[in-house]
Amino acid sequence: MSKAYQAIVIGAGPAGSSAALTMARAGMDVALVERGTFPGEKNMFGGLLHRMPSLERIFPDFWERAPLERHIVKKGVTFMTGDSSFSTTIEAGNFDNPPYNGYTVFRPRFDRWLAEEAVAAGATMITRSTVDEIVRKDGKIAGVTILGRSGQLNAPVLVAADGVLSFTAQKAGLRKPSFDPAQMAVGVKALIDMPREMIDDRFGLVRDQGFANEFVGCTEGVRGGGCFYTNYDSLSLGLVFHLASLRTSGKTPYDLLNAFMEQPQVAKMISGGKLLEYSAHLIPEGGYDMIPELVGDGIVVAGDAAALCNATGLNLEGINLASHSGIVAGEAVIAAHQANNFSKQGLTAYKKLLEESFVIKDLKQFRKAPHMLHNNRIYQEYPQMMCDFMESIYRIEGAPKENVTKQFLKSAKEKVGLGNLLADGFSAWRSL
Amino acid sequence: MNIDEIFDNTSFNIDREPHIVLDTTICTGCDNRGCVNSCPARCYTWSEEDQKMTFVHDGCLECGTCYVVCHMNAFTRWRYPRGGFGVAYRMT
Repeated sequence: MSKAYQAIVIGAGPAGSSAALTMARAGMDVALVERGTFPGEKNMFGGLLHRMPSLERIFPDFWERAPLERHIVKKGVTFMTGDSSFSTTIEAGNFDNPPYNGYTVFRPRFDRWLAEEAVAAGATMITRSTVDEIVRKDGKIAGVTILGRSGQLNAPVLVAADGVLSFTAQKAGLRKPSFDPAQMAVGVKALIDMPREMIDDRFGLVRDQGFANEFVGCTEGVRGGGCFYTNYDSLSLGLVFHLASLRTSGKTPYDLLNAFMEQPQVAKMISGGKLLEYSAHLIPEGGYDMIPELVGDGIVVAGDAAALCNATGLNLEGINLASHSGIVAGEAVIAAHQANNFSKQGLTAYKKLLEESFVIKDLKQFRKAPHMLHNNRIYQEYPQMMCDFMESIYRIEGAPKENVTKQFLKSAKEKVGLGNLLADGFSAWRSL
Repeated sequence: MNIDEIFDNTSFNIDREPHIVLDTTICTGCDNRGCVNSCPARCYTWSEEDQKMTFVHDGCLECGTCYVVCHMNAFTRWRYPRGGFGVAYRMT
């Protein structure tokens, strides 16, 4: 097996398929190489597909074409202890009008659809193929080999969209040989089967409306949080942990997930459901400071492979950044192809386009957020403080009441310390 | 959810040739062994009695947690499975 293409895209996730689609539409002969049996087979995520301005430009009817589940009309945050929880939710009328602000999706369906759109535009899909080595000829990138197979795929330029660990970027010398656990998180998720009517009734939803909720305080002090999403007829319930915190905690992701599922208020949300699938994936959470070299001679890096993930603590964005980076990577490769210049300098438009876009601008803007989120108090003491405070406000037992400020300061003093409260407030304000 | 029953609700097409190979003699000298508790699929087991690490790749979810938390360079091989093998998510 030895075939020649004008470009090879490694990985048929949102970044890779967007790149292949862009190049194929411009008439380039592009190979889209995927290690799964089908695109999306290896992928999972926290659950929300936000607005996709770049894909909406490619497909004006994106929201009708893509395989989506429910649109999110209700978003909540819950501060949680072992037996109490304090929640706030926003249900905005505007969230129920198109263009919708976000959808739940299944990655094995969504990623497969996007890759098929790239194929429909003329890209060659090569599944069941794990890229092994980069082939060089006269010092220049000439293609890749496939693990366990003889022969190679030839092309003068590669788009490395092979995901968070990107061995392609590593082998091209663009990312560091090892990762810092402080910049990585692992997500685990349970998919829970539940009839559609039950979900609608339980969470107050009609038509295709969906509910998304984040949780803080559900990780037994490990830095991280929880998430919950409604699909049409299933629920996604997951936890995310910072690896630097998890690895020294002695706690396991599945025990913590079980405890989360058994927390009394969460147990009521999922009761009557049946576990369908358990999954796990890494998330590059280091932000701007984690981004590798984006461009090398004959190669550009996109999506999770380039750590293009924005975890601010309020939102977790990745697919939209991946997809946009894939599109501009495709545009840069098209320009390099037309100029027949695949050197780093010839591909440098990619970096420029990315820097001018929301992708790098947002990551720069929230550059300090990852550090702020390394504050252990956020994950245990603050949720406890919130729950204690709210409980004390609502508890009526015949004794004279202290005023609210006094009560708040009392909860804060007990759980967090007033100095910490001030310092953390300042740090949060600075990073957001 | 019982992690022992991972094969009951997540699908795998297991390759006989492991995609991760561990030099377990290095693990014996590790002061942390964060892989044991961090792996979401419980692929790593440390026996205090035998002072020995055991690794099984069968239920590996290919997440990369062990690759990131290991600070001993204990892997003689860490790569993704051959195309078509490994974990197969259906609808997550």
